[in-house]
Amino acid sequence: MQNLASPPDLQWPRKLSEIPKAVFHREDVYEAELDRIFRGEEWHPLAHLAEIPAPGDYKTTHIGSSPVLVVHGSDGVVRTFENSCTHRGTQLATCPRGNAAKIECPYHRWNFSNTGELLGTPGRADFPKDFNPRDYALREVRSVIRSGLVFATYSATVPDIDEYLGSAAASVSQVLGEEPLELLGYQKVSFATNWKEYADNEGYHAPLLHSAFVMLRWKGGQGSQLMTDRAHKVIRTDLTVPPEGFLADHSLIDARDPNCSPQSVIVSLFPVTIILKHLDVISVRYAFPRSAHETEVHYAYFARADDSEELKRHRLRQSANLLGPSGLITLEDGAVFNRLHVGSRTSGSVEFQKGVTDAQAVPTDFSHTDEAGNLVRWEHYRKAMGFTR
Amino acid sequence: MIDAADLIRADALQAEYAGALDRRDMNGWLECFDSQGSYICTTLENVSQGLALPMMMDDCHQRLQDRVKFVSTVWAGTFEDYNTRHFVQRVSCLPAPGGLVTMTSNFLVTYTTAAGTAQILGSGVYEDEIVVGPGPLRFRSKKAILDAAIAPRYLVYPI
Repeated sequence: MQNLASPPDLQWPRKLSEIPKAVFHREDVYEAELDRIFRGEEWHPLAHLAEIPAPGDYKTTHIGSSPVLVVHGSDGVVRTFENSCTHRGTQLATCPRGNAAKIECPYHRWNFSNTGELLGTPGRADFPKDFNPRDYALREVRSVIRSGLVFATYSATVPDIDEYLGSAAASVSQVLGEEPLELLGYQKVSFATNWKEYADNEGYHAPLLHSAFVMLRWKGGQGSQLMTDRAHKVIRTDLTVPPEGFLADHSLIDARDPNCSPQSVIVSLFPVTIILKHLDVISVRYAFPRSAHETEVHYAYFARADDSEELKRHRLRQSANLLGPSGLITLEDGAVFNRLHVGSRTSGSVEFQKGVTDAQAVPTDFSHTDEAGNLVRWEHYRKAMGFTR
Repeated sequence: MIDAADLIRADALQAEYAGALDRRDMNGWLECFDSQGSYICTTLENVSQGLALPMMMDDCHQRLQDRVKFVSTVWAGTFEDYNTRHFVQRVSCLPAPGGLVTMTSNFLVTYTTAAGTAQILGSGVYEDEIVVGPGPLRFRSKKAILDAAIAPRYLVYPI
């Protein structure tokens, strides 16, 4: 466990179902979260191999507020490095994705191979005599790949990825598959909300907030919700095919993938990543806390590499229009994220109700339309933050 | 070059389009397209990386009709509403095969929230195909390419 500063002074309510609103606004809480959660004992999904398919490909991203670089090395190995020159700390790569055999710092032209070795250091004759380039390779962040997704962590003590994902691993594998994917593109948006308000979505709201479900008479069938010990959530819902007539172009909501039944599978990995399949949309939502009051979400969409061109085109249309920040089903989420953040700048606590049977005990069984599963997340969060009751 | 009369009519169509959006008149927006019209809103990041996924993809007239329904019916009363101002500057207008004109224009769009704050929603470029006929000109296709990869808020209305 890393050495951590004392937790912010905050008294947590006795009832498990109550969350103090102050955690959505206090700057000291936000700063502590960056240390205790984003640099703490969690694995963070950073990129799918489809985003960096070729040797030399890289993606710039963040773990919390720390800039990192996910690089597909010339040797075929994917590594995660801090996106910072080992000399004076200059940010190295600036574009979201690229390809480079060499990564060069513009400041003093130190340059690195895409496997991390320091290659060149102008003016080295005047460096200290004991200068060893091996001591100045790019700083690597511990990473691992599961279901094509690159996870990284600053923690040396977090459990290995399989134990960490627990029973959510099978759903990650079902959504992303174990065969290559093809990147379709990104939709990126900033929400005026705290990252925990963004991540606090549940199955209770879906048919109530999202009018499309009602208007399409798109009634979810049987479903389930599971929470893992590490506070990952999986909600599954069988989808009925809506009757034609509401949309002029009904083909948008067809389920055409011959290899799976119409289903919604939403995997919410603690702290802030969502991996989902809904009809034929395959998506990873990478989210980044930019401040206590702003959360940036990058929706990445994929097709299966062996899809027919027709199916790929269908996934593209569905991805663009159904589940993104301007999606038919999901646009209203953005409004709620923002309104939660305005409304929580008030006194007291928010309180969960649906599916809460005992406000003193962490629940273990949930219906897919309960919000009680979020109490598992909050209890995990409370412990990670060191808040006491 | 196209003749001056058609240029005036093309500019009038662009003004009609901007005006409809600034009035939040989705049916007026729909009327700017011909019966084979399409609309794409994407980002320079996706375009420059060869990624086909846009922010909005209405690749047939039925999809345009459905976007009107999304905004006017499905989402009504749930989203945080805003007013826009579209500032459009034509940079080229050239004849194209099939009785079409291709027009490229820079745009800047501001938005004003219900609370009264105004900010920039996006800048970028329109790449348009316009059907030239005896009646009012109409878009065969309109592609709005946003310069910013990250939208400052969720987009409800087309750009």
